[in-house]
Amino acid sequence: MSKGFYEFFCPVKVIAGEAALEHIPFELSALGASRPLLITDKGVRGAGLTDYVTTACDESGVAMVAVFDDVPPDSSTEVVKEIAELYRNSGADSIIAVGGGSVIDTSKGVNVLVSEGGDDIAKYSGAGVLKRPLKPFFVVPTTAGTGSEVTSVAIIADKSKGVKLPFGSPFLLPNAAIIDPRMTLTLPPHITAATAMDALTHATEAFTCLAKNPLSDAYALSAIRKISDNLLNVMDNPKDVEGRLELAQASTMAGIAFSNSMVGLVHSLGHALGAICHLPHGLCMSLFLPYVLEYNLSKDKSREALSELLLPLAGAEVYARTPEGQRAEKAIETIRDLRDELYERCKLPRTLEETGKVGRDQLARIADMALDDGSIMFNPAEADFDEVLKVLNLAWG
Amino acid sequence: MSLQQIKTLAMSQSKRLYVTTMMQVVGRALQAISEQDEEIQKISSAFPEGFVFSMQVLPNGPGFALRKTADNSLEFLDDIPTEKPDLTIYIKHLEHAFRILSFQESTAQAFANDRMIVDGDISFAIRMTRALNRLEAYILPKLVAELAIKEYPHIPLPEKVLHGARIYLRVATNFISQQVKFA
Ligand SMILES: [Fe+2]
Repeated sequence: MSKGFYEFFCPVKVIAGEAALEHIPFELSALGASRPLLITDKGVRGAGLTDYVTTACDESGVAMVAVFDDVPPDSSTEVVKEIAELYRNSGADSIIAVGGGSVIDTSKGVNVLVSEGGDDIAKYSGAGVLKRPLKPFFVVPTTAGTGSEVTSVAIIADKSKGVKLPFGSPFLLPNAAIIDPRMTLTLPPHITAATAMDALTHATEAFTCLAKNPLSDAYALSAIRKISDNLLNVMDNPKDVEGRLELAQASTMAGIAFSNSMVGLVHSLGHALGAICHLPHGLCMSLFLPYVLEYNLSKDKSREALSELLLPLAGAEVYARTPEGQRAEKAIETIRDLRDELYERCKLPRTLEETGKVGRDQLARIADMALDDGSIMFNPAEADFDEVLKVLNLAWG
Repeated sequence: MSLQQIKTLAMSQSKRLYVTTMMQVVGRALQAISEQDEEIQKISSAFPEGFVFSMQVLPNGPGFALRKTADNSLEFLDDIPTEKPDLTIYIKHLEHAFRILSFQESTAQAFANDRMIVDGDISFAIRMTRALNRLEAYILPKLVAELAIKEYPHIPLPEKVLHGARIYLRVATNFISQQVKFA
């Protein structure tokens, strides 16, 4: 079916490959900046990853005017305010974020404050509030999963009010995303697996949900192929530079795909489960992906799209061998097999029960919360409370 | 003025008239079913009392607004309040509103197609979308409803509420065929 209408937008320069970090000084100067503030978290700095960035800059005569390395796993308005003060006091003129989703979202918030002024980030919450470009901003992702480096949204918690503030504006996007294989080379196996499953879910939902479009499709298909070609190899050979780079690129491509075509019920359920049971996002995606695809298929939705996905998921031979009417089911089976392989290698749980952190009595609450999640709107099949609960029970074990 | 220009002008004037009327119909119908439909009441139970929802066509309307009352129903407001509503779904263009309100494009698909933007809490917008879907299922015959919503719920129709709305549906069908003729 051809798409009647769509929009596609991605103005982020992608700088990817070996020695990509060494491009940062040039990119800074191209935007007239020379005094970057580096924002990261303790884990990333402890693993020595920021050293690669500072060295690359030092060698070109660019020094970080300050480093903030204490971003918590859930970014908050307080942290944003604190870093904005550091930015101002240190005389910085640009931001380099080195980290995962939380570091990136926090940095987006900091950029809003230091560009627009004031110290109340809540003022800029909502869609389309920002009207002009912000300070030069670069993102160096250290997990191959979230795709936040190419999404125009950020979620920042206001802990005093107990709410999560959503921000949405094209001006939140960084000027460039720098994908360097060194950044993910030391990622532990279970994080490699979970974040790759997040990227795989982004691409799969982008390709099967209501806002799918030809440009997103192209990114989604390539991202899926890169993940299925490389994930298990990288699990077995963590130091495989080329494989790491492929996964990192896949994550960015999946990010471009889903930020233009949105995600669906896997994310609605995953957001709810993550919030209630405090499980990492990537794991939540892996837990629900096959069950939601099966649910959509049972409602006679996305068969065609899922059949197409068998090719990048399982390769040409399997695709050709599988009769047309069974390709969608085979695609889901391939994802299940991948989850089994990951379980064997790093014990990444496959069912809610296997996580050991979810109580069966919590499922109703998770279902309730999932129904209010923004992503549910774009799922191809409608789902009410009973249906969502049924998916949760299937995902239980 | 050429004949083509006259046709185009007439088309857009009647489109505006249709959207204006249909906005009123949808707003009033939502009030009516919110007073007796349990599903809608479940949906609106999450809104705080006094919560104002509006749906507006950019840049200057038409549109309608509803206020959640103490007894958990939705009250149709004769005018859109000057104070900013708690939640507004903006439709980017009159043509998009026409497609949505003549059920050529479902609300979910319209969101997916970037026809509409939400100003306010997304989860409230999702609840309002469910309420609108529910309403469409009431107003429309099954065949048309299946176009407008992802799935058709099996619900009994309270006739007296929906009489007016059905008349406008016929107007809509008329417009659609006119549009085809003019194209
Ligand atoms: Fe995700």
